[in-house]
Amino acid sequence: MIYLDNAATTRPNEQAVLRASEAVSSIWYNPSALYEGGCLARKTIDSAREKLLLFAADSSAFELIFTSCGTEADNQAIFGAAKRGNFVTTAGEHAAVYACAQELKNRGVEVRYAPLRSDGSVDCEALLNLVDGNTSLVSVIHVNNETGAINPVAELAARIKQINPRTVFHSDGVQAFGKIPVRLTKHIDLYSVSAHKIGGLKGVGALIKRKSLSLSPYLYGGGQEGGKRSGTENVLGILAFSYSADSAFHALEENAKRVSFLREKLWNSLDENIFFRLSSVSGTPYILSVSASGLKGEVLQRMLSDKGVYVGTGSACSSKRPHSRVMEACGHKKELLEGVLRLSFSAETTEEEIVEAARIINNVAARLQGRLK
Amino acid sequence: MTEKVVIIRYAEIHLKGKNRGFFERVFTVNLERSLKGLRHELRRTSGRYLVENFDEARVDEICERIHNVFGVHSYSVGIKTEDTIDAIYAAAESVAPTIGTFKVESHRADKRYPMTSMQINAEIGGRLLSKFQELKVDVHHPDAFVYIDVRENGSALVFGEFCKGRGGMPVGTAGKGLLLISGGIDSPVAGYMMAKRGMTVEYLHFHSYPYTNGLAKEKVVRLAKTLSRFTGMHRLNTVSVTQIQEEIHSKCAAEYNVTLLRRFMFRIAERFAQKGGLQCLITGESLGQVASQTIEGMTSSNTVVTLPVLRPLVGFDKDEIIERSRDVGTYDISVEPYEDCCTVFLPEFPAIKPKLKDLEEEEKKLDVEGLVEKALSEREVIEF
Repeated sequence: MIYLDNAATTRPNEQAVLRASEAVSSIWYNPSALYEGGCLARKTIDSAREKLLLFAADSSAFELIFTSCGTEADNQAIFGAAKRGNFVTTAGEHAAVYACAQELKNRGVEVRYAPLRSDGSVDCEALLNLVDGNTSLVSVIHVNNETGAINPVAELAARIKQINPRTVFHSDGVQAFGKIPVRLTKHIDLYSVSAHKIGGLKGVGALIKRKSLSLSPYLYGGGQEGGKRSGTENVLGILAFSYSADSAFHALEENAKRVSFLREKLWNSLDENIFFRLSSVSGTPYILSVSASGLKGEVLQRMLSDKGVYVGTGSACSSKRPHSRVMEACGHKKELLEGVLRLSFSAETTEEEIVEAARIINNVAARLQGRLK
Repeated sequence: MTEKVVIIRYAEIHLKGKNRGFFERVFTVNLERSLKGLRHELRRTSGRYLVENFDEARVDEICERIHNVFGVHSYSVGIKTEDTIDAIYAAAESVAPTIGTFKVESHRADKRYPMTSMQINAEIGGRLLSKFQELKVDVHHPDAFVYIDVRENGSALVFGEFCKGRGGMPVGTAGKGLLLISGGIDSPVAGYMMAKRGMTVEYLHFHSYPYTNGLAKEKVVRLAKTLSRFTGMHRLNTVSVTQIQEEIHSKCAAEYNVTLLRRFMFRIAERFAQKGGLQCLITGESLGQVASQTIEGMTSSNTVVTLPVLRPLVGFDKDEIIERSRDVGTYDISVEPYEDCCTVFLPEFPAIKPKLKDLEEEEKKLDVEGLVEKALSEREVIEF
């Protein structure tokens, strides 16, 4: 099986799994307990927290709150910070932010969407024009999960603060953290990350928060995570997250360079008569979105699955939701919207796999084209 | 000796003359099957059934299952106690209302009992009135009843509320049919309605993988599973029509796609039914609902089969069907977005009134027999 859906989730990092499974029978105590076992669990969490934070931010200015997933981190950021005025975001957000925006509208907060460019990145000037004195929060995805486009979040955050210094800036960094260089500047207030996109386990995410920002909790209870996120911590998942991030960040540049080569190799091997490239070269190396015009992405996906190649798709074959909201916002034509395939890589992806996958994808697409003639 | 019991009364079975024994036997089997896995004893008494000796904490579960057995007219949770007047009163007190109007109705199977029915009514009613100050008797239009049934073996049944069952006839008393089930709202309701009239319903589902996805099939399995609460059928037959759709798409006029496919489905269904001794086809078609469900559309599919095609929803509005599907419990599954019919092959303008002659002409371009046999030979069965 060739796995090219790493933007959905990744195979857990072996070292991370090993360390987590060792800890299963030794660090199972409740981290809030005051006896030795509990303290050990607490220390495990805190050292993971410190390590993870240092990969992306200055620990004197930022803190890291563990959550159950990236979605929870996004929810906490948005509902904690956007309580009044207006909320500015982009048309290219992941559902974890988009659905929050929809809900905010129900709660009486005005929501403004900035348009996208054809590669899926936000139109920065248009976004800045939407920000005003009443903007309580701006949320901009760092790396678009469908096209791979990278938004200049640091620059945007700085310019937004010039317009309104009280506006909180959040970015969903789930597809960026551990894949492209991430350094949180003083203008970025909140940043969401997730473990399982970089070889960690499902069930762990985190919200990185500027210390000086006060944010009301999203979950109330036993006061864990400094009262900012109650609920007994997922010690093993957190431990695995720190190991997987460790290996991702240590080889960040080297991996990105190699994966970038693989992405271009795959694109160059795909049949140019069938496929159209949606991702730009300047996007994350880890995502290549293409479209097979006139074919359905979902059908291709199933046929590829039968041939042992797992890929993602931007479309769901449903008359109610015929294609991706984000791809539509990129302004692509209808024929392209239906045939989207998202091919996404990890540090583990090999050149042989890419060569083989390209061959199978070309064959399957040509066969489907033939069957539909 | 006091225990909770469930009293079950049956629907139309009493209308049956010499066949009554058969209906009652099937009904008993169905009741037993519905209570499988729960400790209980089921007994038939004069004109009704009694469930006894169950875990009283699970009485709601027992009622829920009985509620879904076709043939049940009504049921009540009651108390079985000794037939002394004190024991009967104690039970009556626990089922009686404490406020409003009521009436006691007694019945004696044991006519040697020292009190008459009227005397029992008066005694129990009097005691209840003195216990609950806000209670009044109204023999004509009471808010609530207290029923007392003195039986021959020294016991009495006391119960209050009557719960309405689903009615209908016991499944297995009215032949066997093949339901053409999709992932939509209508077909599960059609299956429900035929099962309600006592028909044993087998399921057949057509898919077109890879144009439709595995989740769509899994959705149909869940629909069938939900229906199985009523039908007792625990398997789904599936047949792929992918190749047939591709052939039609490449060789025939686009406007006939849907009608031609339906004719294939009917042919496959009939052949499948005949092999399994099933006596009719059942569909969820409703007149005029979509382009292929016109009288011309129905005629064109009927002409390729000889088995009767039952369409229990033919005269229903969509609203009525939706209401029923909520009641059956399939609605929420049916509206999930996984489609079992891919839009790849849908023509922009389907023929609303297909002419038989044109369809037959189109079919000459295809190896109908070969395609039907091939599809059937690749049938899959999913047990659940």
